[in-house]
Amino acid sequence: MTEQKSAAVDTAEVKRMLDKHKAKMKMSLSLCAHCSLCAESCFLFNARNKDPKYMPSYKFINSIGKIYKKKGKVDKAMLEEISVNAWKRCVLCTRCYCPFGIDIPDMIALARSICRSQGVFPQYDE
Amino acid sequence: MHCCETGNALTMVAHMELSNLFTADFIYNLARGPLVWISILICIIGSIARTVQLLSYTRIKTIDPNIDFSSIRKKPPAAKGGGLPEPGLFAVLKGTILGVSPVTILVSLCFHICLIIIPFFLLAHNLLIDDAIGFSLFSFSERFSDFLTIIFLACAAFFLFRRIFLARMRAISTFYDYVVLFITVAPFLTGFLAYYQIFNYKIVIILHMLAGELMLVAIPFTKIFHMFFFFIGRFMIVNQHTMGKGSRTW
Amino acid sequence: MVKGKRKPLEEIRAALAPYNKVLVTGCGGCVSVCLAGGQKEVNLLMDDLKMLFKQANTPKHLKGYTVERQCNRQFLAELDELAPQAECLVSMACGAGVQYLAERFPNMPVFPAINTIAIGVDREIGIYEEKCRACGECVLAYTGGICPVTRCAKCLFNGPCGGTNKGMCEISNDIPCAWYDIYNRLKDQKRLGDILKIQTPMEWRNQTQRTVIQEGYEKRYAGR
Repeated sequence: MTEQKSAAVDTAEVKRMLDKHKAKMKMSLSLCAHCSLCAESCFLFNARNKDPKYMPSYKFINSIGKIYKKKGKVDKAMLEEISVNAWKRCVLCTRCYCPFGIDIPDMIALARSICRSQGVFPQYDE
Repeated sequence: MHCCETGNALTMVAHMELSNLFTADFIYNLARGPLVWISILICIIGSIARTVQLLSYTRIKTIDPNIDFSSIRKKPPAAKGGGLPEPGLFAVLKGTILGVSPVTILVSLCFHICLIIIPFFLLAHNLLIDDAIGFSLFSFSERFSDFLTIIFLACAAFFLFRRIFLARMRAISTFYDYVVLFITVAPFLTGFLAYYQIFNYKIVIILHMLAGELMLVAIPFTKIFHMFFFFIGRFMIVNQHTMGKGSRTW
Repeated sequence: MVKGKRKPLEEIRAALAPYNKVLVTGCGGCVSVCLAGGQKEVNLLMDDLKMLFKQANTPKHLKGYTVERQCNRQFLAELDELAPQAECLVSMACGAGVQYLAERFPNMPVFPAINTIAIGVDREIGIYEEKCRACGECVLAYTGGICPVTRCAKCLFNGPCGGTNKGMCEISNDIPCAWYDIYNRLKDQKRLGDILKIQTPMEWRNQTQRTVIQEGYEKRYAGR
C-alpha cells in the first residue's frame, strides 16, 4: 500500500498481486513470440534512436516478466531497476501494437502497481 | 501405416528383449505408429484446452454504460465531424507493420503459409494418411512441395539471422527462442534430407518423424500457440488494433 | 497537461469529519507531474491528516492508493476491491478523475483534494503556468501561438481593447497585454496580415458538456 515506506519489500504482498493477475499475465508472457514487431509502434522507441530498450516487449519482459520469473521475490534495487522500464521508458500511452494482440499496457500497469505498492514510484521533483 | 500397427508395436514391446528395445527398428515402428497418434491427440486436446482456458480469461465487452450516444452525436465536438478521418487504404498499410517492416512481414507470411500447407498437402504424408484412415487431402506435386520447403527453410534462416544479428532481437531473445525455432524447423529440414536420401535414410526418417511429433506436442504448450491466440487476440478481444469490431475483453 | 493544486488542509479535514474510514486515492497522471496528487502527495496528505485528526482526538483509519490514471476505466478498476472497504473517498486527481471515480462508486461520498487549475506547461519544478482553456476552437494559428482566450482578460479575438496600456492590461499593470504580445510576435515573423481578417466571436453561449468521438473509431459504435 501507499503508506509503506520501509526499505524492505513485502514479498507476500507482491506475491498476492502476482497471483491475482497470474492467468492472463503468465499467458501473455508465454505467448510473446519475441518477434520485435511491436518496436515501431512505440513513439519513444522511435524518438530514442530505435534503442531496443524502448521496445514494448523489452519493457514488459524486463518489468512484469522479471517479477514473475522471480516469483515475487524481488528486492528494492530490482524494483528500482524495473521502475526504469515501467516509467522512464514508457508513458503508458497504451498505443503499442502486438501482432497477436497481447495486452502490453496492462502488463506495464501491473508492474507499476507492484512498484507503487512497495513505495517505488517516479519522483517528478528531481 | 495401418492403424493395427499401433497394436503391433505394443505387442512388440511385450515380446522384445530389453536390450533390443531401443534398436532403430523399434524406434522406427514406435515413431511411425503410436507416437503419431499420441502426438496428434495431445496437439488437438491440448490446443482445445488451452483455447478454452484462454477464453475463460475473457468476458463479453461492455462499453461504458454512461455514454449517451444519442445526445453526444447531436452537439459539437462529436457532431461536428473533423477529427482524425478514416484513413485511406494506403495510409492504413503505411502505418501497419507491413508498411514499417515489409520484408519481415512478407517473409513471415511465406513462412507461416508454408508451415501450414506443406505437411497437409505433401504426397508422402497423404499416402500414409490414406493408408491409415482411407482418406486424404489432395497432394501437391513433389517438385512443388520441394520448392515450398526450400522457401520455408530460407524464411527460417532469415528468422534465425534476424534473431542473431538484429540488436532489437538480441535484446529480448533467450535460448528458448532458438529451441522453439529449432522445433519448428527440424521436421522440415529432416523431411527435406530424407526426401533426397542425404545421410542415412533410416536415421533421418526416424528423426523426421520424431521431430514432427515433437512439434505437434509443442504447439499447445509453447509460444507456438500464438497460432491460435492470434485469432482470439486480434479478432475477438477489443483494443485499438482489433480487426473488426471484436466482442470480448480481458 | 492538467495542472492542479492541493486544497487547503482545513477544507479537506472538514469534509472528512463525519467519516472514520477514508481511502485517499492518488493519480499517476498529470497531477503526479505537477506535484499535486501523485503517490508522494497522497503520502503527504495522509501524514498531515493523521496529525490533524490525532490532535483533535478523533483518529481515523486512513488508507492510500494511487492508480495510474483516474480518468481511465481500466485503471480505476484497481480500486474495486479497496474502495468499498472505506466510508468515503478522497480523490487527488483532477476534476475529470474525481468525477469518473465518483461515477464508478456512485454510493460513496467522494471528496476532491485538488483544485484543478488549468491545462498548462511546466515552467520549472513546482511552477506551472496556464496555457489553454480547452475552448474547443483553437485560434493559435493566426495569433502567433499566443492564446487570446487564456491570456486576454476579455478573450478578444480581433485585437486589443481600449484598455491596453503600454503593453500591459488594464485590469492590472502586472499582467502583460496578450494582444500586444501577439502583435509583436507576428510582426517579428512578418505575419501581421494574419490578424487583419475579422474573426467571428466564439460561441460561448449554451456551452454544455462536450464529448469527442474520433472519426476513425466512429464505425465501432455505429448503431448505438
